[in-house]
Amino acid sequence: MVEDPSGLDGLRSIAVVGLSVSLLLSGYLVVRVRDLVYASLALAVLGLVNAMLIALLGFSIVAAFLVIVYVGAAVMFIIVSVSMLGGGGQEEWRPARGAAMAALFGAGLAVALAATGAYQAYSTPTPVSLREVSETILSRYGPAIGVLFVALAATLIEAIAVAKARR
Amino acid sequence: MIFVALEPLVGGAVAAASVGLFAIGVYGVTGSNNLVRQLLSIEVMFNSILLIVILLLSYDSLIATLYSIILTSVVAGEIIVVIAVVVSLYRAARSLTSEPLEEAGV
Repeated sequence: MVEDPSGLDGLRSIAVVGLSVSLLLSGYLVVRVRDLVYASLALAVLGLVNAMLIALLGFSIVAAFLVIVYVGAAVMFIIVSVSMLGGGGQEEWRPARGAAMAALFGAGLAVALAATGAYQAYSTPTPVSLREVSETILSRYGPAIGVLFVALAATLIEAIAVAKARR
Repeated sequence: MIFVALEPLVGGAVAAASVGLFAIGVYGVTGSNNLVRQLLSIEVMFNSILLIVILLLSYDSLIATLYSIILTSVVAGEIIVVIAVVVSLYRAARSLTSEPLEEAGV
């Protein structure tokens, strides 16, 4: 095994661990910050940190898509909507129930990942070009993308209809 | 390459972060009665699931990229619908809590 003399790969591994910790911190902020607008902003930070982590793992196209579509459009939509709606009443917390369910589902997921060997499943990906991705989408996944396109269009129409509906 | 030697460490760190993030999301969904907080917590869970998908499919970067793009597109659509429902509910009940839904038996 040949070591990289620049030491960049070692730094990258440290950055992955650091970003994983940042991910958990921003997730905690999303759930625990009292003001919903700030919680939505924390979600945007979470998406950006997630995109950085995914880029470091070697999936730069996914990271760019996540920043543009998810953070740039969807989360911004949440921020604007929450800013316009305001608090919307007193928020009540049931911490015991939440902690019990979090422990249950977290343990279940951890066991499932351990059983499938996901902790050791990561392998440095081979670089994939945007041209390769788009050609595969249009050739092999053409019908699936068509269905997705129609479903998303129907979703948009449904959302407009629900939001404009009278009481 | 050092990174290849550290792959188990990287995979373990990302998987552990995913599990922790998923647990935080579940805590927000089940612990709060605010619909917007529940939506934000579901988005936290989505970020966790996206990391797990990338981790499990990293042996084939093309498949991992395609699945992640499709997953993100579907979640973006889901956000639009849920925000529309929340706006509609806010108009009807002037509240963002889940009590009106529970009273209506939803």
